[in-house]
Amino acid sequence: MKRNKTMIVVFLAPALIIFCAIFIYPILRTIVMSLFKVENVTSNPDQWIFVGIENYKTLIHTSLFQIALWNLARIWLIGGIVVLSLALLFAVILNSGIRFKKFYRAVIYMPNIISAVALATMWLQFVYNPKFGLLTTTFKSLGLDHLASINWTDSDHKFWALLFAYCFGMVGYHMLIFSSGIEKIPQELFEASTIDGASKTQQFKSITFPLLRSVIKTNITMWSITSVAFFVWSQLFSMVTADTQTITPMVYMYLQVFGAGNVISERNAGLGAAVGVLMGLCVVIVFFLTNRVIKEDDLEY
Amino acid sequence: MKKRMFCLVLALIVLLSITGAVFAEGKTIVYWSMWSASEPQAIVISEAVKSYEAASGNKVDLQFKGRTGIREGLQPALDAGTVIDLFDEDIDRVNVTWGDYLMDLEDLAKASDYEKTAIPGLIAACREAGGGRLKSIPYQPNIFEVFYNQDIFKEAGIDTVPTTWEEFLADSEKIKAAGYIPFTTDDAYVLTNFGYHLARYIGQDGVLDVVNNGKWAETPEVLKAAQDYETLYKNGYLSPTFGIAAWPTNQNGEFALGDAAMYLNGSWLPNEVKGITGPDFLWGCFAYPTVPGGKDGLEAANYGAQVFAINKNSKVAEEAFEIIKTITKGEFDKKLSVESVGIPADTTNTEWPAMLASVKEVMAKLTTRYQWSAGIENNPNMTPIIKENFQKLCTGKETAQEFVDALEAASK
Repeated sequence: MKRNKTMIVVFLAPALIIFCAIFIYPILRTIVMSLFKVENVTSNPDQWIFVGIENYKTLIHTSLFQIALWNLARIWLIGGIVVLSLALLFAVILNSGIRFKKFYRAVIYMPNIISAVALATMWLQFVYNPKFGLLTTTFKSLGLDHLASINWTDSDHKFWALLFAYCFGMVGYHMLIFSSGIEKIPQELFEASTIDGASKTQQFKSITFPLLRSVIKTNITMWSITSVAFFVWSQLFSMVTADTQTITPMVYMYLQVFGAGNVISERNAGLGAAVGVLMGLCVVIVFFLTNRVIKEDDLEY
Repeated sequence: MKKRMFCLVLALIVLLSITGAVFAEGKTIVYWSMWSASEPQAIVISEAVKSYEAASGNKVDLQFKGRTGIREGLQPALDAGTVIDLFDEDIDRVNVTWGDYLMDLEDLAKASDYEKTAIPGLIAACREAGGGRLKSIPYQPNIFEVFYNQDIFKEAGIDTVPTTWEEFLADSEKIKAAGYIPFTTDDAYVLTNFGYHLARYIGQDGVLDVVNNGKWAETPEVLKAAQDYETLYKNGYLSPTFGIAAWPTNQNGEFALGDAAMYLNGSWLPNEVKGITGPDFLWGCFAYPTVPGGKDGLEAANYGAQVFAINKNSKVAEEAFEIIKTITKGEFDKKLSVESVGIPADTTNTEWPAMLASVKEVMAKLTTRYQWSAGIENNPNMTPIIKENFQKLCTGKETAQEFVDALEAASK
């Protein structure tokens, strides 16, 4: 086939220009900005003050940012294990030939189509309410007074209350990704193994799980990206002023870029950019580690 | 033939549209508002704007951005050259954060004798925030003080509101004996309690010094203030979920439903809970009490307003100022006050909503203006840590000394 270079350039140029403008330029600008003190995110570059790696040093030495990182690590690891395990379990069950599959799938996915604001309000004002909340009344009716007296939104429990509520909504999304992966595995493999006498557990261990490696990698990467961007739930669980149990790097970045709650505080978009760069690095590291740890098989569907 | 007719009609429509646009009378004023369209303030502002349009022949492009929308979007939009003539937000955010974009309104205010019917204290606050010049016009004034349930006070046998910490403790004992929770709050406002209390001891400048320079252990009043709240907890004067309930759990529950007597909050509180309290709830308000040997008295509190400001590059400043006048004077100021259960900005509107009747007296005595929470939240790197430790102090999980030690350690 004869290649027409002009045509290639003409057809590729718009996509390339848009890609550079929307992805490459903001990334480069953020990296550069992280080396400056910038009062406002839209300040002219001539107003930027070069500080080198000072923003990164400040972040590392700020105890609140360390707390935010610790919260993020817990959300990513503990939440990730819980969400991805449950999602995989539900996906396997739903694809094992049970009746009303579509109904159950819709029910599990439903929290994803409800606004996070509505969900968080339900958890805070109904489930965790210290007076007439679902947990309090349920534990009381079971005679578990100690559990009923727990304040789920105090500083000892708020992180776990937040994580539980968040995970509740995330299982359905990852279940769908797992489910689509399982559906691609040829049914003949399961039928043949059933004829050979394999149990459901053996089928999962020897067929489903190995053939889902690339889907697992996708899910871990997706989970990492959504975890790093953890913001809305944190904001909803600590309105007006952030607190130590719910703050994440993204919330910290918001405080630095747009100011904190009702207070007029000093802003530094450069520091916010440094948070963004660090978070971006985290995702890249997780992505590479995942690729290294989970080797892809030659066989995949 | 049909085609030709169609083209002719189309051309005529285009021509008429262009002619209409060119010769259209009036100017267009772009107004970005901090309210959400369904809020009572937004509804009244819309009516006021319509009234202005009808009277002036000008057009107002009114956009309700909501609090987050305007906080995040206004400055980037202005930097990008978006035409925004008029905007509103909190007095400090407008004057400090967006100070570079504001037009000096001294001449416009003088030309229309605006200050004649404006609240002098708020105009002074706007000038102070604007670096000595009037760059914003206040409306929807508010104060942050202790709101209480008059019926509970009456039932507990309290005739006069407490003015000193000693009286506050004595009244709390009476309220507790009557079977009510004396004092409550939610997580969103918990730090305002400590900010006010510490400011009563050492003033706002003292609070800022402690918070910004980490002088928690070096300032003995911090321990004193913490001990006072420790006493409140130990004596059972605080709600068991004081400051740990997620806002608005205690505001709507314990306080609005009549289980708790007092809540330190803004004068917007009656409006926020009026659907729960109903019309029979008797609202009271008193200034946060003084402490023994304290620097500040009842004259100091966080008070302010939402303010209007005009973009310094606006080409329709006079028209924008007319809109401000329409909203903040006479009929629409009164309507704003009634619909949002707020304080009128026009001094000729002497009738305040009944729910805020007791606020009037408290507000009249204020001369010293605190910033939000008297400055205790001024260091965003410390705020969540102070909050966590104060929550622990108020729920008995930490002693006053542990509270001070924890903050001293965290600030180093």
